[in-house]
Amino acid sequence: MFTKDKLLRFLLVLAVFVVADAWIYSTIRTSLRADAASNRSASLGLLAKSAPENPDLREDWLMSVSETLPGGAAVYLVPAEDDPEVYERFATDEEALALWQSLESSEDAVKGLESAYYFENYASPVKATLSNTPVRLFYAPITDDSQGELLGIAVFMAPETADPGIERLLGIFAVGAFILFAALSGISRFSRDSTVGYAVLTLAGLGIVFIIFPLFEAFRLSFTDGARFSLATWAGALSGAHLKALWGSIRLGMWTATTSTIVGFLFAFVIYRTTARGKKFLSAIAQLPVISPPFSLTLSIILLAGNNGLITKQLLGLDNFSIYGLGGLVLVQTIGMFPIAYLTLAGVLQGLDATLEEAALDMNASRWQVFRSVTLPLAVPGILSAWLLVFTNSLADFANPLLLAGNYRVLSVEAYIQVTGRNDLGGGAALSLLLLLPTLTAFFIQRNWVSKRSYVTVTGKPNLKLVEIASPPVKAAMTVGVWLIVAFTLSLYGTIVAGCFVKNWGIDYSFTLANIGEALSRGKDAIRSTLTLAAVATPIAGIIAMASAMIFVRKSFVGKKALEAVMMMPFAVPGTLLGIAYILAFNKAPILIVGTGAIIVINYIVRELPVGIEGGVASLRQIDPSIEEAARDLGADEGMVFRSIVLPLVRPAFISSMSYTFVRSMTAVSAVIFLISARWYHMTVLIYNFSENIRFGLASVLATTLIIIVMSAFGLMRLLVRDTGAFDKTISR
Amino acid sequence: MAKEPVAVTVDRVTRIYKNVKGRADVVAVNEASFVVSPGELVTLLGPSGCGKTTTLRMIAGFDLPTKGAIRIGGEDVSSLPPNKRDTATVFQSYGLFPHMNVAENVAYGLRIRKVSKAETEERVKRALALTGLSDLADRSPGRLSGGQQQRVALSRSLVVEPGVLLLDEPLSNLDALLREQMRVEIRRIQKSLGITAVYVTHDRVEAMSLSDRVIVMKDGRIRQVGSPSAIYEQPDSVFVAGFVGKVAFFPVDVQGVDDGSCACAIRGKTVRAGSHAPAVAVGKPAVLMARPESLRLGPPEQGVVDGTVRQNVYLGSSVESFVTTEYGELLVQIDDPAGKRVAAEGERVSVSFNEDRVRVLPAAAE
Ligand SMILES: Nc1ncnc2c1ncn2[C@@H]1O[C@H](COP(=O)(O)OP(=O)(O)OP(=O)(O)O)[C@@H](O)[C@H]1O
Ligand SMILES: [Mg+2]
Repeated sequence: MFTKDKLLRFLLVLAVFVVADAWIYSTIRTSLRADAASNRSASLGLLAKSAPENPDLREDWLMSVSETLPGGAAVYLVPAEDDPEVYERFATDEEALALWQSLESSEDAVKGLESAYYFENYASPVKATLSNTPVRLFYAPITDDSQGELLGIAVFMAPETADPGIERLLGIFAVGAFILFAALSGISRFSRDSTVGYAVLTLAGLGIVFIIFPLFEAFRLSFTDGARFSLATWAGALSGAHLKALWGSIRLGMWTATTSTIVGFLFAFVIYRTTARGKKFLSAIAQLPVISPPFSLTLSIILLAGNNGLITKQLLGLDNFSIYGLGGLVLVQTIGMFPIAYLTLAGVLQGLDATLEEAALDMNASRWQVFRSVTLPLAVPGILSAWLLVFTNSLADFANPLLLAGNYRVLSVEAYIQVTGRNDLGGGAALSLLLLLPTLTAFFIQRNWVSKRSYVTVTGKPNLKLVEIASPPVKAAMTVGVWLIVAFTLSLYGTIVAGCFVKNWGIDYSFTLANIGEALSRGKDAIRSTLTLAAVATPIAGIIAMASAMIFVRKSFVGKKALEAVMMMPFAVPGTLLGIAYILAFNKAPILIVGTGAIIVINYIVRELPVGIEGGVASLRQIDPSIEEAARDLGADEGMVFRSIVLPLVRPAFISSMSYTFVRSMTAVSAVIFLISARWYHMTVLIYNFSENIRFGLASVLATTLIIIVMSAFGLMRLLVRDTGAFDKTISR
Repeated sequence: MAKEPVAVTVDRVTRIYKNVKGRADVVAVNEASFVVSPGELVTLLGPSGCGKTTTLRMIAGFDLPTKGAIRIGGEDVSSLPPNKRDTATVFQSYGLFPHMNVAENVAYGLRIRKVSKAETEERVKRALALTGLSDLADRSPGRLSGGQQQRVALSRSLVVEPGVLLLDEPLSNLDALLREQMRVEIRRIQKSLGITAVYVTHDRVEAMSLSDRVIVMKDGRIRQVGSPSAIYEQPDSVFVAGFVGKVAFFPVDVQGVDDGSCACAIRGKTVRAGSHAPAVAVGKPAVLMARPESLRLGPPEQGVVDGTVRQNVYLGSSVESFVTTEYGELLVQIDDPAGKRVAAEGERVSVSFNEDRVRVLPAAAE
């Protein structure tokens, strides 16, 4: 509760903290500066000793001083033969000379010269400005080797602080400590149950540090050159070749989205709108590619139709055929992504009230007319939605183009090459930000426009009777088409398995088991680290997702909408961008975690949270809030309510969010490829490396291993979720 | 389950729901004050949306007053969360934990309080026996009837020996017969434990039959507080009179008011009504209220107003006679009809009343 009294006391505590905080900050800063100053005295004194006696070398020495003191300079004074009070000046830097001339008759300068004359170093307390850099003057004698005779005086103009970075860091910590203290003590004073406050704070911290901050860093770097604002990076990113890659991404996205939507619609229609047989099987196969690891479909396409492909070379003897490029990419992406379209459209076709079609048939419309005038228009929002979802996914896809693009350029790969090949992080950031433009546009159209126009009629009473609006020949044709696609998909997986047992695909097809041993021994560490990272990320992501869902559904607080938006953001951000943003943000203090396993785990958690949260939210909305209230009423605090009531009740969502995170982490590549290190490697990257080196046998073994792991995880989840069915019904009223 | 019962004080409590998106604020509870004495069962009665649930939720701690204070046993709990308050709520939708069986549900509060295993078992057993659930301890709540679920919810609240028991329309999901049974049971248990209870309902019969006192609310305001008979027989406003029972109103001119009775003119005839509301005064618009049981039928022109019997409804112990008059349709209750002549439908009659048992109220402002 909020009272004036409490507020006053809170402000008082804050004031005390500010004073203490500021005192600690300034003490540390002063001592840092004193330290820096004495270091500088010593080093500048030494620098003066390195001054040459030989007048010809003076210039070189002055140049080298400018280099050792970035932003600083020196003036070399030589007492005149006739009058030791008058000095001849030497400098390579015009501005340094001008500065000295403006200062030389000042009291401080006289004092400095005098000290130096008597072989004493003198650090001037007076501040000066040398070409916009704050500097201080330092006077040091230049002596001959025996130090008996004064040859001259060096006046150094050294930048103010030795290391501005460390002071900035100190400042960040001081301000951070204050914000943290204010937030924590504010929560514990003003909120009725501080657990929620701390949870919100933690979530906000997570969002700011691991989502906003890295993206901001990527954005900032793309606009700076060194330390200054610059458009050079963007000028590079928007040059012809890269724009071609952007267009390449968009063109690929449009093709894939279109073909995937058609295939997805075909599947959904055959499964939900006809009386075809084997629907369960069809539906299962249609979802298989969603969980298949990256590179696996591409790998098998290359095995079948690559330069040395089984079909293209061995069976058909084609020499000029190339699967690399747009055509091949559309093919693999369609097989990999039509499930997205299928799942969206399945929901739509399932939900369409068949009585509408029935009514139209009653009015003597032909089946084709019914399809065109009723079914299709009703499904249009769903179709658009599916198209946009696939489009976004295709643009963000990284693994398939990496192996299969050939000379065709797409942005995600371009950004990767920019970073790893040219070591140009800024350019990579700019390119992946460029990718954000079409993805975000598609995402928002899908979220805010299309999905609000769905005509799915919820009647509560599903119409179980099916209206066959496909005439027998049409139905037959569609069914055949669907089964052909199924056969093709299965043959792709079959090829990967076959690849494990072939000595040297394309050249020597003899049977061998050697690949398995070699791949497993070479991939042992990668398999272990991939499993470890995924296993660590999984429960954390699951619990955070459910806690966030509880907070978003049941609690109200200021800034909830904003927090939700931030937590959902990674859903629309291509992995390439997030990966680049992470290396930019976390390869330096205060959060130096590049190269550790932590950065990968955090990346997994952040990327997979949105789906988990959505699942948790949907599940929690089904649960009567008075169940939680009853627990609270009986004395449970927020943590207890979460543990003993919410978590068990949303268990299906909890488990599926965990298995989703696990599978996605096992099959991650686009972000993780930037974050791996020798210690923390990822299987998918190893598959890529093997494929690049034409060790298809090894790649096949690893891909198969990955598929087996992922399938087992899914199977396990199914088992775990099924036995909770018993009380599913009683949760929702 | 013996524990000193505590008092609940609601002190000028207001709850305003700020409505975003340009809609007007809702004043759900407006300056409500009342005291529930230790061991007393008080009912909050009123039409839908009058703020009963909001008041109850503020006592439980699920909602916070915008203004005012709530005290339980003398301690100001206004800013305490529900888990720190000595209350236990029985929810309209029960809020049973679907993933626990009946015994686990009941034991939950004791588990939170870290009561020893043996004691928990003992207390759960007793609570289940009290509500007649002993045989169902292992059942999952999803496989219980509505009445049984209701009992589980009640045991779960009682087992923690709360200072105050709060019930929000606990019977509204049950059928009529079960409702009557449970009503009796709740009252029996509450009395035997001597627990302070606040009961929310919009059903006047429930309120009348259960409560020590009834608080009638409307539009967020408390209209009247009193024992069931006081509320029924001596309502202070047209609203309360109408809400707690069937009633007929006759506009009257007040001629004189004294401590008990009140002289007033109705159709030129002066009657001396047995009682009047405090706000009644000479010159102010007023009505006379009469319950069906205090109305009588007689030959035409011998009563207060003439009319025609539209319909008779035979109820066994009584007949309800609906008479169309210039004051609208009046309901007259004729007790013990076997021994009396009941005017036939369509017959001209006059309606008169028992002056001792009628009451004068200020005319409705609304
Ligand atoms: N969370 C809320 N936000 C906005 N208005 C609310 C909220 N909760 C309740 N109200 C409003 O406050 C008023 C009182 O609600 P309350 O639930 O207390 O009524 P009630 O007397 O319990 O009614 P019922 O008999 O229908 O349960 C209503 O007008 C309701 O619309
Ligand atoms: Mg209510």
